[in-house]
Amino acid sequence: MVTFSFLDWFWVGAFIVLMIICGVLFYRLGKRSLSDFFLAGRGLPWWLPASSVYATHSATDTPIWVSGVIYQHGLRGIWYTFFSAWCAISAFASTKIFRRSLAYTQAEWQTLRFSGLGAELLRGWIAGWQVFMNMFVLGWVGMAMGKLCHYLFNWPNWLGLILFSSLCAFYVLTAGYWGVVMADFQQGVIAFSVMVIVSFWGIAAAGGPQEIMAKLESLGQSWRLNPFAFTGLTSGEFPLVWFLTMMVIAVIGGFGMGTSIDWYPEAQRIQSAKTVRDASYSIWAGSALIVVRNSLWAVAILAFFTLFPRIQSTAQYEMAWYRVGFEFLPVGMVGFFFAAIVAIHISTISSHLNLGASYATRDLYHHYFRPKATDKELVWVGRISTLILLLGSFVYGLMMKEITQWLIFALWIMAAGIWLPSILQVVWWRFNSWGYLSSWIANLGLSWLIVWVLPEFHVIPVLPDYLQFWIMMVLGALIYIPITFMTPPEDMDRLVKYYVMSMPLGWWKPVRREAERKGLLKIREKAAEER
Amino acid sequence: MGWIQRKWKPEQAERWSKEDYIVFIISPLIYILLAVGVLLSLLLLWYGFLILAVCGILIGVMIWIIDPKLKAVSKDYEKKEKQYLEDLEKITRWEE
Repeated sequence: MVTFSFLDWFWVGAFIVLMIICGVLFYRLGKRSLSDFFLAGRGLPWWLPASSVYATHSATDTPIWVSGVIYQHGLRGIWYTFFSAWCAISAFASTKIFRRSLAYTQAEWQTLRFSGLGAELLRGWIAGWQVFMNMFVLGWVGMAMGKLCHYLFNWPNWLGLILFSSLCAFYVLTAGYWGVVMADFQQGVIAFSVMVIVSFWGIAAAGGPQEIMAKLESLGQSWRLNPFAFTGLTSGEFPLVWFLTMMVIAVIGGFGMGTSIDWYPEAQRIQSAKTVRDASYSIWAGSALIVVRNSLWAVAILAFFTLFPRIQSTAQYEMAWYRVGFEFLPVGMVGFFFAAIVAIHISTISSHLNLGASYATRDLYHHYFRPKATDKELVWVGRISTLILLLGSFVYGLMMKEITQWLIFALWIMAAGIWLPSILQVVWWRFNSWGYLSSWIANLGLSWLIVWVLPEFHVIPVLPDYLQFWIMMVLGALIYIPITFMTPPEDMDRLVKYYVMSMPLGWWKPVRREAERKGLLKIREKAAEER
Repeated sequence: MGWIQRKWKPEQAERWSKEDYIVFIISPLIYILLAVGVLLSLLLLWYGFLILAVCGILIGVMIWIIDPKLKAVSKDYEKKEKQYLEDLEKITRWEE
């Protein structure tokens, strides 16, 4: 348990008041239209969505799971956190393509890229899955806050889960994405500053860099200092093939849309940017900041390891970075640290509340139930959806126990079967909606079978992570590639419209030829020349 | 660096070119160097600072290569965006 002084509570109180003011200030902008409530009117300069990318992906559970992998693996554990590197290529590939499509959501993009019943099924599926997934994310992030408050104040887990998520729901309900993105900027600045202070403090508390290295050597753990300390080619806890697999998943995944679960919040930030250029820089810079943040955490957690090297319980060493802050910062600063934790927590909660609500409103309610709904009605549906997501997240949160294992599964393995199809849908004209839909269905069955069910019944051994990924990818391809060729290609008119608008990358020659035959590209080029 | 094009007409900028492919290689490399560079610099190892310096140079090179192209694409696209937004509603409407 940690004892707070008056100054500590002052920081926390001041921060919460600042958040609520933020919601009230942007209330008028948020209610103007659907585009304002979910995309801030598509008018943001690059640094605002960039700070939102960073703030959204710095959640209460993130230092917990980064602590888990770094305490376990040393600095090589940094590669587990490298999934955000998909933005390195995406910023200049799929981000450009998606921004030019102007789709509100990834689900809507499916009906631009594909046509007919397959496209509609995909849109409904992805929208439903996103509503569920956002509720799920809200649950696990909320539970992380519950655990932290239990550690700090001995509160029951449910209290921390419900209290802080409800506070941020206030400005999401009133100002929508405007409130989210403006609060994210402020939260991002506060959180990053505090992360730097705490990490430096932790390193100093362990005696500084020289002392950390000396202690590791005396413990016979010097390998922890090497980010490339592999345990063999295919053997051990961290083989080279797993590192290469993670690099492929993260980096090449940038050519696709939906190769990482983080694509979906990023897609909202991409569309909220003022121009294609702003969208590209926002995604690149936001993720670069995440890469820096992970390294800042990693060294502080390594410092913690040298102070407490023999912790066996995962639940205990997962709290490493938080313990650095709460056990070593001086009185008065602890409250500031907690305010920063509240900042990273509610920036994630607010983004996922608004994102989940955008799928429920735009892709389910507006698309399937009330196509003629007014903007005013849709903004209200957005608010109601936000509230439902919040309540649902409490139920999920109370069902979850351990965070690290869930996140390795969710971030790296769960998307294995749809990783390649998510790229193919962007780069290959012949890949159709039935192929993509079948990959999703196959992946759902395969991921649970290969990772949980078959090993549980001893039908197959528990496979290393890299094998799980490649096996699921190959098995999935054996299903969706034949289905793609057995079903007709997408309607050429739709493909041409999509091509002319989005100018995708990859194998689009037949579509490009058709667009040129129709004179659409020539018309564009001529118009551009006249300007 | 004459082989890097820095003046773009909008219709040229929309096509994927070697400038894009170069950035596809440099950009992930920057992320890897950034991750390792910050780790090692915090441990006060001299090569950590060297890696960060290389990273800074690569960021400059990347922006130098891609920024003119991104500007040209954005300028052209903004003019068409309003029309496209109207089309978006027609294309994606369930009734059609």
